Amino acid sequence: MPPAPAPPPFTRRRFLGLGGLGLGAAMLAGCSSPAAAPPPAPTPGEDLWRRFAGTTINFISENTAPTAAIAANLGPFAELTGVTVDIVTLELQSLVQRVALDMAGGQAQYDVVYADPYQVLAPYRKGLVDLRTLVDDPQYPPLDQPVEDFIPTQLRAAGTFGTDGALYALPYDAPTMIWQYRIDVFEKYRDRMARDLGFDPAPGPDSTWEQYHRTAAWINEHVSEVPYGTGHQAKQHDSLMCDFSNVLWSYGGDYFADGAGVGLTGSDDPGPCLLASEEAVEAAEFYNDLVGIAHPGSRGWDWDGVGAALRAGEVAMAPNWHEYAAANEEALPGLIGYAPMPRGPVRSANIYGGTGIGISATSEGARLGAAWLFVHWATSQATQLSNLESSVGGGTPTRRSVYEMPEVEAATSRPSDLPNMLTADAVTAAWEPDRIGLRPKIPMWNECDTAVFTELSRMLAGRQSPRAAMERSANRIDQIVSRGWVA
Amino acid sequence: MTSAARHAPTRSAATAGRRFGLTFNGRLMAPGVVILGALSFFPLAALIAMSFSRVRLLGGVRLEWAGLDNWERAFSDPELWRSWGLTILWFTTTLGVEMVLGVAVAVALSRLVRARGVVLALVLLPMFAAPAIVGLLGRYLVDPTFGLYAWMLQGAGLDGDILGDPVTAFVAVALMDVWEWTPLVALITLAGLSGVNPSVLEAAALDGADQWTTFWHVVLPSIQGILLVALLIRSMDAVRYFDVITVTTNGGPADATKIIPLRLYEAAFRFFDLGYAAVIGLMMLVLTIAIARLFVRILSGKGARP
Repeated sequence: MPPAPAPPPFTRRRFLGLGGLGLGAAMLAGCSSPAAAPPPAPTPGEDLWRRFAGTTINFISENTAPTAAIAANLGPFAELTGVTVDIVTLELQSLVQRVALDMAGGQAQYDVVYADPYQVLAPYRKGLVDLRTLVDDPQYPPLDQPVEDFIPTQLRAAGTFGTDGALYALPYDAPTMIWQYRIDVFEKYRDRMARDLGFDPAPGPDSTWEQYHRTAAWINEHVSEVPYGTGHQAKQHDSLMCDFSNVLWSYGGDYFADGAGVGLTGSDDPGPCLLASEEAVEAAEFYNDLVGIAHPGSRGWDWDGVGAALRAGEVAMAPNWHEYAAANEEALPGLIGYAPMPRGPVRSANIYGGTGIGISATSEGARLGAAWLFVHWATSQATQLSNLESSVGGGTPTRRSVYEMPEVEAATSRPSDLPNMLTADAVTAAWEPDRIGLRPKIPMWNECDTAVFTELSRMLAGRQSPRAAMERSANRIDQIVSRGWVA
Repeated sequence: MTSAARHAPTRSAATAGRRFGLTFNGRLMAPGVVILGALSFFPLAALIAMSFSRVRLLGGVRLEWAGLDNWERAFSDPELWRSWGLTILWFTTTLGVEMVLGVAVAVALSRLVRARGVVLALVLLPMFAAPAIVGLLGRYLVDPTFGLYAWMLQGAGLDGDILGDPVTAFVAVALMDVWEWTPLVALITLAGLSGVNPSVLEAAALDGADQWTTFWHVVLPSIQGILLVALLIRSMDAVRYFDVITVTTNGGPADATKIIPLRLYEAAFRFFDLGYAAVIGLMMLVLTIAIARLFVRILSGKGARP
């Protein structure tokens, strides 16, 4: 009888074929998290602020001015609650990455999250706690001012998504892009410019982009104090989309139909992209010309770069976030002025970059409760005022009541102890419904944003026409949106 | 205890080893190979599974079957292929320059009689800087507002932002890589030069060969093996180059420096399109293996030559 055939050798190929894929899938699928436990109930008569004394929580934030101020002034919170807060500050892209991975891991390494509405809240809102359940919970101290005290537009833009009624974040900062310019240059040359250009060049609510362009070109040629008239944050970066969007909206273009609604409420399915419209192409042509006469460093600068250039006397004016006012005032005291963005053929548009802070849905027990106490405290009227006074940060309050405080109102003109408030007139105008610019709040915005600023960067590098840049952007955005979002 | 009892476990292990066809050496190596295999195999299996899936993150990682969607997207994505083209350009440019410069520096160092140790230490310094620091240093040096190099170029009438123009940005980041890693090639080559048989050099000199002829026909063939090692190490690095570009240009301007590792990072950790990122990762893996096998085959051929 012949011997029984030997079993086939256990080769690498067979191993891969039999179990590898299944094992890999099972390994990934096994990373699920259990349901979060609620915080322990308070005992009768317990100080509601000190319920979670001894707890340590982590707060992850973009490296922004309000967080710098809060990090430098955590003592009052620790005294009030006995809770220790460890703060991690990162550049926005790194923050988004950490938050997403943390939510996937289900361990809540970060309890309190800086919830950028476009890159965190829209795509990962299901990983955030609905704060309304905590706002109305009598087991926590009541808010010193109601939720309605937050600037309404900011509460909707930074705190909600869609029409589910949930509140995922409380408005925490409110940077908004405004026109920043050298007062001394405009004072010295105003009459000459007016004579040569035929209009008053002083930045104001009625100034137009066309006038901005001509003024910048005039400064390039005639002003010795600064090498260039204008600077822009035109690096291949989120900043380029922000800078361009101001022009886009002012020319009547938009990313999607009902752009204001998509920006304010948010949508998972915003419809076809409108960037290939004639208005958008016209805006791109203008922006291309504008950056063409700007400081050559513009194509390598983000918002930090253009802010540094303005403070270093490299440019006479630039659109930038208003929270740079404190740094401007420190470097060039009394020399930087602020105005709403210039008008285009349709309107003036000032892109809003505000963000809320929320709580990770994977946070649980005492940490969840302590996280809410921190969110409550960090967005309170008193803390926002304290941030404004901070020597290391300089907040951008999101509560109306803060702007109505006498000391804050007094600080809106020089000499000012609260330098960010020097922008108050400009940003108050910028937040008016017909001036505010809201980028699309859609879960796939991060990728759409990249498509837009990449195509714009190609345009600025002379590799494609403004029309091609807009058409390619629209095409790419349509493809991205059509794939939908999986979180 | 009897001798047979003492040897029983050894015989048993030997039997088990024979059953799996393992030699004595194989049994010694088995634990390490198993651990290495696990560390390599499980991520690879996960990567392959992800490439056929849409990956959900919230509430724990979950895979949803997506068939060939990610692969179809990858093969029909012009942006991805543009990045592949750029990666090949990056690979050949940086490797070519580093090899030529590295050999030249090594030859120059080998001829130094005095202060060779000091010069060698100075030459090797860039290699010890973290790539992210090299990127930051480069960015500050070419910054149009306060950068030293930018200031020097402006003085020579070359206005503009080095990192703001697609061509100059590519050249700048390539030069940063060359600055950091040429010393490694030089160091490896220097080791090879020290092994060249002096009697062969002497014979070449007696035959009247000039320095260039000696280098080209005697020295270079003698160090080909070690040059291939340098090439292999640097090529592996070049395919997954990331740090300096991220710190300086982040892939811009106009995607001029967005080589494949940056696109992989973007897909995986900015868009969290992990299925698509897995496809890019597998493509990179195939390329890396192909390059490694090519060089190892060439290296084996050189080694086998008498």
